[in-house]
Amino acid sequence: MKVNFTLNGRAVAWNVEPGTTLLEALRAKGIVSVRNGCDGEGSCGLCAVLLDGKQVNSCQLLAAQAQGRAVLTVDHFSKDRGLSVVQQALIDAACVQCGYCTPAVTLALHELLERSPEPSHDEVRDALSGTLCRCTGYEQFYNAARIASKRLKDPSYAEAAAPEFRPDLRHVGKDREKVDAAALARGERAFVEDRVPADACHLLVLGSPHAHAFIKKIDISKAEAMPGVVKVLCKDNCPDLVYTTAGQGFPEPSPHDQRMFPRKLRYVGDRVAAVLAESLEEARAALAAITVEYEILKPVLSIADAKAPGAPIVHHGDVSYVVGEPPAGSSVKGDGRDDPIIYQFPLHADPHRNLAASVSDGIGDMDQGFAAADVVIERRYKGNRVQCTPMEPHVAYAKIDGGRLVIHASTQVPWHVRRIVSRVIGISENKVRIIKERMGGGFGAKQDIVVEDLAGYLAWTTGKGVFYRYDRREEFAASRTRHGMEITVKLGAKKDGTLTAILMRLDADTGPYGQHCLTVPMNAISKSLPLLLCDNARFEVKSYYTNLSPAGAYQGYGAPKGSFALQTALAELAAELGMDQLELIEKNRVRSGSRIEILRSLGEGRPGSPVTLGECGLGDMLERGKTAFAWDKAKPSAKDAGLSEDWKIGRGGVIIQQGSGLPGLDAANAEIRLLADGTLLMLSGGADLGTGLDTVTAKAAAEIMGLDMADVSVISGDTDITPFDKGAYASSGTYFSGNAAVRAAEDLRDKCLAVASGILGEAVKDLKIAHRGLIKGKRGEISLAKLAHLAIQGEGHHELSGHGNFKTDHAAFPYGAHFAQLAVNERTGEVKLLRFHAYQDCGTPINPALAMGQIYGGVMKAVGHSLYEELLFDDEGRPLNTNFLDYKIPSVFELPDDFRVELVPVADEVGPFGGKSVSEIALNGAAPAIAIAIHDAVGAWCREWPFTPERVLRAMGRL
Amino acid sequence: MVKDYVKPRSLDEAFEALAMPGSIALAGGTFALIGEVHGTKADIERAVDIGGLLSEAVERRGSELYVGAGCSFQALAEAPAAPACLRAAALTMANRNTRNRATVGGNLGANKSCASLVPILLALGAQAEYKLRDSGPRHIALEQWLAAPQGLVLSLSIPIVSGTRAASGRASRTSCDLATATVGLAFRLEGNAVRDLRVALGGFGPHAMLFPAITALFEGKSLPPKADIEKAVEPLLSALSDKRGGADYKKRRGAVLVADALHAAEVLA
Repeated sequence: MKVNFTLNGRAVAWNVEPGTTLLEALRAKGIVSVRNGCDGEGSCGLCAVLLDGKQVNSCQLLAAQAQGRAVLTVDHFSKDRGLSVVQQALIDAACVQCGYCTPAVTLALHELLERSPEPSHDEVRDALSGTLCRCTGYEQFYNAARIASKRLKDPSYAEAAAPEFRPDLRHVGKDREKVDAAALARGERAFVEDRVPADACHLLVLGSPHAHAFIKKIDISKAEAMPGVVKVLCKDNCPDLVYTTAGQGFPEPSPHDQRMFPRKLRYVGDRVAAVLAESLEEARAALAAITVEYEILKPVLSIADAKAPGAPIVHHGDVSYVVGEPPAGSSVKGDGRDDPIIYQFPLHADPHRNLAASVSDGIGDMDQGFAAADVVIERRYKGNRVQCTPMEPHVAYAKIDGGRLVIHASTQVPWHVRRIVSRVIGISENKVRIIKERMGGGFGAKQDIVVEDLAGYLAWTTGKGVFYRYDRREEFAASRTRHGMEITVKLGAKKDGTLTAILMRLDADTGPYGQHCLTVPMNAISKSLPLLLCDNARFEVKSYYTNLSPAGAYQGYGAPKGSFALQTALAELAAELGMDQLELIEKNRVRSGSRIEILRSLGEGRPGSPVTLGECGLGDMLERGKTAFAWDKAKPSAKDAGLSEDWKIGRGGVIIQQGSGLPGLDAANAEIRLLADGTLLMLSGGADLGTGLDTVTAKAAAEIMGLDMADVSVISGDTDITPFDKGAYASSGTYFSGNAAVRAAEDLRDKCLAVASGILGEAVKDLKIAHRGLIKGKRGEISLAKLAHLAIQGEGHHELSGHGNFKTDHAAFPYGAHFAQLAVNERTGEVKLLRFHAYQDCGTPINPALAMGQIYGGVMKAVGHSLYEELLFDDEGRPLNTNFLDYKIPSVFELPDDFRVELVPVADEVGPFGGKSVSEIALNGAAPAIAIAIHDAVGAWCREWPFTPERVLRAMGRL
Repeated sequence: MVKDYVKPRSLDEAFEALAMPGSIALAGGTFALIGEVHGTKADIERAVDIGGLLSEAVERRGSELYVGAGCSFQALAEAPAAPACLRAAALTMANRNTRNRATVGGNLGANKSCASLVPILLALGAQAEYKLRDSGPRHIALEQWLAAPQGLVLSLSIPIVSGTRAASGRASRTSCDLATATVGLAFRLEGNAVRDLRVALGGFGPHAMLFPAITALFEGKSLPPKADIEKAVEPLLSALSDKRGGADYKKRRGAVLVADALHAAEVLA
């Protein structure tokens, strides 16, 4: 049927199918700025358009409904690649992180300013209420609205988005435009789905309806014969090898326990079969034609189930080790039906007892430590499954080009994808190219090879272009969640609060496969225990297989759950001792010069060694929080907060830490080229997943080479073009990839000076690079442009380029102190977050406003995990809330009234310009701070998150 | 999968199209298009776009408030003619994007248990004007229509009785979540005595409905303290445990909503 309407000011007449949604029609016509985050549910708002001037979700409208209407997309405001007042304001306020939601936010603010040129706070909130963003934490959107509003009256209006740091440097520590922000704000082609040609084949997977089952019989013959079907895969015709999907350095500390199509299905959604077809409809029809007979097995649905004597065995294949021997007493002989498990090295596992990995260690003498205590407490904390929910689901487009496999991927780990995919297919790595596109969020979920193995294999074996995109239900059920954990903390202390012993026992639920099975739970220990000084400390970590959804990496790894357990236990101990909780922290926390002995036991798979801490900013951060929250004074009353007497006010403060990459394990590389006009091309191995890593590397180059940011272009995460990088995980981006860029730029600088020395006839030591790319000597000078021209034009030099490699044994810890003030309704158990302050030390903030945005976003994820989010399962292991209607992530409404981030830099000696990591740590504070504040308000300890109103009432004994 | 789109020029044409199997009425946007994602694949063959055929007016007509079924939630939330409790209830619908398209008629047609607007409409005694194929408009109490929906609702007439006090309330996990429980109530005070009380709740049955048993607790009596109201109301509610909470919690939350609304009710402007 034909639909006539006005699109971005121009009349159009489109032929559409009656059932085509407006979103589908727009994308089919190349309007890619409308995005799909919820598959037509209408809860994410990323597909928003202005329909006759009002913001609506185009996924819930049929294209035919646009007849005679005026439709505006963000492209209207991006005409001739310009930027509207709102788009520029969003960039200036550092609101563009992954950029997937930016077009929708742009439209919302345009609509708002049209009807209310000077909007109130509430009006901004209302305008943004229909747009979900997982990156930014929404707070800086208010700044963008204010900037845009003021610029409508005064185009020259400007305001600082963040404080500045390092006055000795031109770019570092100052706000500069994020290098990809303009393109993302315009809604240009940037993401995987924007690269898919119309003739690409579609890949769909038949997921298991059972949590634990063998496939007795599968018949794909009917599907294979159906129109448009290119290939049907199942356990009988897929590659016969096991691998891990964990994007970790090889050899991975994760068992190789996953077959492309497993012989035994281990969770609801596990791969049963896949159809590649010429159209989505044909793929759907063929999928429905596959018949399967299952032998249903009793599932393992909890850690307790997994540990129980005689429990069903999730993995019952042969167990082998590439290096080392199985632990004494463990079972290695399989049942003859299941897939094998291959450990790269021992992880103290016993898979046939559902134990995927374990580790225990410690320092001192625990018996002596507890014996010396005046008070001993033991508490158990539970953290349920939470989902990363990147707004762009897992997606890949694989094709054959020049006889090689090319995968356009939304991945945090391009090189690990290349390694794993080439092994799965059985081809060498030189035949595979991974191009990391802009990513609509990753948050750890895209550290795993979730879709690329299948898409790559089918592209390689069929020669077709293969588009594989999870829908939101698959994203919830079959991508990656944070491991469920149950942590018992036992603390001993003297009456004055001095800790005498700390014991942490952690059981984790790694789900059906063992990706990150040891490293995630170990981070719960290694990023919490070293915050406290105690001579006697021990941990025991066990990770169990279950038949729930796959677990994996999530921003913070296991640290948020370890931090919740230990910091809350510390507050419970303070209550036992009758001490102020911050006083107890102060008594036991690490400080400048502390020797952290426990690191001897926390070596990330290698022998660890104690560290003597340099400068530590925790004292300053705690003082700032205490002052801001008037800690020494009585709490404000509910009346002060404008609330009824049903509400009780509480507050809590915690200290947190993280790492900056994996010292001794990981490495990053960069290359930088001087182009003929004196500008730079940075080739960074780093994988910017929306965090601004490319901006970090551009800044490093501009700073060192005396240029402006506009003089540097960055290409990153392309395995053909850029050098190896371990990937974006473990808070390594700025520290590792950033440092590699620094070293590359320094190498180029040194080479330029050497060549200039010859041309100018002056000693290298007398030369320096001045701003605007001018090499100045005592007598003469030469521009980088001239230098490059001469070098390229055959003056005896080659193209000037620099190379940088970074690896280190130095451990750089970012620290933080997070404070929460909230109100609890005694009648309903509801929690209203009133204030949240995050004081964080990220060393030198390379991009201050972007760093703050990372922290706001991290905190709001943690607030969501603490109060609302939990992946639920029924008693047969079926996930129940696999959509944004039922699994609630925070919207702009959930922000605390007073939400503040303060950067408290303590420079690191090794980090780029003194920088450390910033993002992951931000997730570690909210859960314990909120739990402590709830107790402070109503006297109840909530030891299981999320702290739903129902759980709060139960903790209070009122339900 | 929608295979046919019909844009009727009149209600009669709309009814003809809707009479065909697999037809749904579409006025604003619809959630019904996404069945596959939620595993509730609706067998929708035909979308009948009735947008433009229904009144969008919100206006006082004598002692009544007229609300056209084509009125969007956002328009209702902004309508000066609507009493504050009604505007507030409309404003709790999801988010602005949704409110811009969702219509009052569509919401009534969906007839969901968690409806945010319906309880206050029931409490205020709204009358529904609806139409069946081949018949003229009929008027019926909204609670009766919701109990056995038929035809298309064309409009609502809501009596605005002097001295009536009313309030609405809603509980949800997050602001934009579907409601766990909703309430709307209206009454008059004669001296200290509660008169003509109507209490409606969402979340405690297949659709939002009046709860005469709750009314009976307080009719003719002075308003008890909130704690007493909760204690009396909670046993009268029944709920199912689901993703949004356990049955016990929902009952408690519903009782608190009733207590709060009774004490917060304000005289209709």
